[in-house]
Amino acid sequence: MIGLYAIVRRAPREAVGARAEPLLEIGFESFCVLAGDAPPALSVDALRAHEAAVRRIAEACAACLPARFGAAAADEEALRRELAPRAAELLEALQLVEGREQMTLRVHGRGPAPLADAPPFGLRPSPAGGPGTRYLEDRRRARHLPELDPLRTALASLTRAERVERHSECGLLASVYHLIDRGSAQAYLRAVDATRLEGFRILVSGPWPAWSFAPEVAQP
Amino acid sequence: MTAQGPKRSTAEEIVERADASLLEIVDHVLNKGVMLQGEVFLGVAGVDLVYLRLSALLCAADRVLPRAGK
Repeated sequence: MIGLYAIVRRAPREAVGARAEPLLEIGFESFCVLAGDAPPALSVDALRAHEAAVRRIAEACAACLPARFGAAAADEEALRRELAPRAAELLEALQLVEGREQMTLRVHGRGPAPLADAPPFGLRPSPAGGPGTRYLEDRRRARHLPELDPLRTALASLTRAERVERHSECGLLASVYHLIDRGSAQAYLRAVDATRLEGFRILVSGPWPAWSFAPEVAQP
Repeated sequence: MTAQGPKRSTAEEIVERADASLLEIVDHVLNKGVMLQGEVFLGVAGVDLVYLRLSALLCAADRVLPRAGK
């Protein structure tokens, strides 16, 4: 079994894995998969080591799609069978993250009710629109979180792509993942700090490799 | 990690002060599912906050359930 670390356009020189093992370069027509030893047992140290290995690869490559901890394939041939039909999708993702890195926002606050807690569509009084309209509006709000629009405006010149993941945990409304150009993290942090959102609390971290913009590969 | 906004909860203060980077790593590196064997304790100041026992499969539902049309 081989463990996966990342998909890159071109392999960096002398890349090593989480346990300092030399990485196997599995070349495809338009990208390369970096693989090492089979994933170890799950532990905090193993997670940190995997993240550090992926970070090293990302820093050495202009375009890097991280593989999550535990991504693995039986062997090189099995990996080729899985990824070859997805080449176009993976190349598109590589183009999106090229020269970019990820910032992560955790959005805390009261905000609107998550979709799962909202009254069944069709039962809620609404000033306009039928049940279908309200349902679609709920879906749009759940996906977009429009309450963050002032922050989006402040970050517009820095943000190249966005992913929003809504949460049902009490207080934690959503995670927002932004792709930014490499080298612009300090400007991003300053813009977040300078933007006030009434009723919300924002925790920001990064820059990270583009974890949230990488397609899933070789998951068991 | 920086923060802004209204008064923070005790849990948020703990997360910010202690090992927020670990929590972010766990989210980024594990999110969307993984299959392994083992146990993970995530603790702050000697208090276990999260305990994961992974005997078979920890996986997001969209990885387990059959895909529509498949």
